[in-house]
Amino acid sequence: MLSLRFHGRGGQGAKVASRILGTAAFLEGFYVQDFPLYGAERRGAPITAFAHISEDPIMERGVISDPDMVVVMDETLLQDTRAKPLSGLRKNGVILINTSRTPEEVTADHGVEAQVVTLDMTKMSLTMLGEPILSTPAGAAAARIVGIGEESLKEAVENVLAGILSEGEELDENVKLALSVFLAVTPLDITTVEALPEASPVIIVPFEPAHISSPTINALGNSPLRKTGNWRVFRPVWNREVCTKCMACLARCPDGCISLDEEGFPCVDYENCKGCLICVRVCPAEGIERVREAQVL
Amino acid sequence: MKEEPIKSFRDIPGEEVLCSGTPACAGCGGLLTLRHCLKALGDRVVIVNAASCFTLLAIYPLNPFKNSWLYTAMASAPAGAQGVRDALDVLIEKGKLDSEEDLKVVVLTGDGSAYDMGLSSTSGALYRNLDFYYICYDNEAYGNTGFQESGATPLGSKTATTPPGERHPIGSELPKKDLFEIWKSHRPPYLATISPAYPIDLINKFKRAGQYRGPKLFISLVPCPPGWGTDPSRSVDLAKLAVETGVWALKEAVRGEVGHTVVPKRFKPVEEYLRGQGRFAHLFRPVRQEETLREIQERVDEYWRLHKLLL
Ligand SMILES: Cc1ncc(C[n+]2csc(CCOP(=O)(O)OP(=O)(O)O)c2C)c(N)n1
Ligand code: SF4
Ligand SMILES: [Mg+2]
Repeated sequence: MLSLRFHGRGGQGAKVASRILGTAAFLEGFYVQDFPLYGAERRGAPITAFAHISEDPIMERGVISDPDMVVVMDETLLQDTRAKPLSGLRKNGVILINTSRTPEEVTADHGVEAQVVTLDMTKMSLTMLGEPILSTPAGAAAARIVGIGEESLKEAVENVLAGILSEGEELDENVKLALSVFLAVTPLDITTVEALPEASPVIIVPFEPAHISSPTINALGNSPLRKTGNWRVFRPVWNREVCTKCMACLARCPDGCISLDEEGFPCVDYENCKGCLICVRVCPAEGIERVREAQVL
Repeated sequence: MKEEPIKSFRDIPGEEVLCSGTPACAGCGGLLTLRHCLKALGDRVVIVNAASCFTLLAIYPLNPFKNSWLYTAMASAPAGAQGVRDALDVLIEKGKLDSEEDLKVVVLTGDGSAYDMGLSSTSGALYRNLDFYYICYDNEAYGNTGFQESGATPLGSKTATTPPGERHPIGSELPKKDLFEIWKSHRPPYLATISPAYPIDLINKFKRAGQYRGPKLFISLVPCPPGWGTDPSRSVDLAKLAVETGVWALKEAVRGEVGHTVVPKRFKPVEEYLRGQGRFAHLFRPVRQEETLREIQERVDEYWRLHKLLL
């Protein structure tokens, strides 16, 4: 049995990616489970989805803690302590990462021990769909790596997306995207052994009355510690030549990430700006440009 | 105490009372509303928040508020507010809290609580003339659980529980409840609709409301990118279009007397607002559902004719 775990950010399509993979494997004749982890997750927040693929009936239930392969749909998740996408990955397992960098660079940077595959899914989606939605490329790349055939993949993308997309044209574009991903990636031999779990002391939580056990936060306004800046695909960049200091962007930022610098120009806190780009749209002087994050790094 | 109204973006208080780093979606119109409401109210408030997307704003150990915040079940935020108000009053009476140090009690809920589940406890609080603010951010469905239909869902909207299909081609078949009128029938001293795209109007309404003791109520129509099927960058444009097409009437009722605060000189066709929202896409493609589009426009026209603002 192969066990896969998808890590994405809410809105990127991790759930649909696992469904595409699961459907494709099912069409190839395997027993399959695919399911997301439902939590209080919103756009941008780390999301997990899972798939089991097996020649025999699958008796396991529940989340996958020791996957043979992880699909990391957003490279910034590698540093996210809440997501921990590599945790539990079996020895010799596969890491598929959406990044513009090479496997060697990623391996060196993150000190990972695994077969690393990289693919710039965001770029492919932006080029072919016009939007950074990654369900199709992530599902297709995972399917190709585990050895699913082209026909099953194509049919799976059609089946899964027909219920989601309202336009036939978009569906065709997604199928095309899946097929070009199919060509860009090669299948791998995935024979893994269990990684020894890190020594983690078992913490037993005793039953306590509500005034002790219910969480009370005594810190004021500490949420900026959650660096929502890594949600961005594009960042807003101000052009001071054009800015008239009208304050429209400041008044329209839902997250309150824009303030004025000493010269009265708006400046943004990139650590927490989520990249909604409302500022870009509302600037009457068209003085804010959107720049792809990968080009800034 | 009456406060001077503000006139431009420059007059909006600069200090951020609501901090960044919340888990709310990028482009959340509800968050933009709340940011301005808190600028108007300041940090001497207690927020009583019914279960909704916004109960996730404060997840242990992180908290975006500089004020106190309490989480209640969906149906009972106004009851929670009553408890907080009473506790503050008792403390003041016993001399344990200086009346100068008093806090404003603010209920914050989505439309699910405001229009449906919490209506009875709200009615009770209004009946008892509880001195509190109620802010409803209305994204027109149960957003947090995946966008199911609520009493605030408008006619023709796709939601998780009203998927357009052969038998129900238009999606939601029921028109939106009129919460403003429901609240108004209780005769609160102050009641208003607000919009995240009109922060000056919003802040001035809070300034006016501040003069009154008793229930002070605010409903904000807020774009919700995942539920509405819209790009996060369009949230302000959409909130503005809702007002410019007449779909969302910006108004207030002071002791029952209704006045409109923003009236478009020329109403844009409602289609301009509907088009481009994923939740209404089935009204345009594959075939235009003319009858429903006409009905939605007519309902809007009827409202403005009733108020003698459309001839
Ligand atoms: C009595 C009850 N039923 C259901 C839920 C699950 N629930 C939590 S948040 C939520 C959605 C609330 O919708 P709304 O008030 O419109 O706020 P939004 O999520 O749209 O911001 C639901 C149904 C609950 N907490 N309590
Ligand atoms: S689901 Fe909608 S209301 Fe909830 S946080 Fe996201 S944008 Fe805001
Ligand atoms: Mg709602």
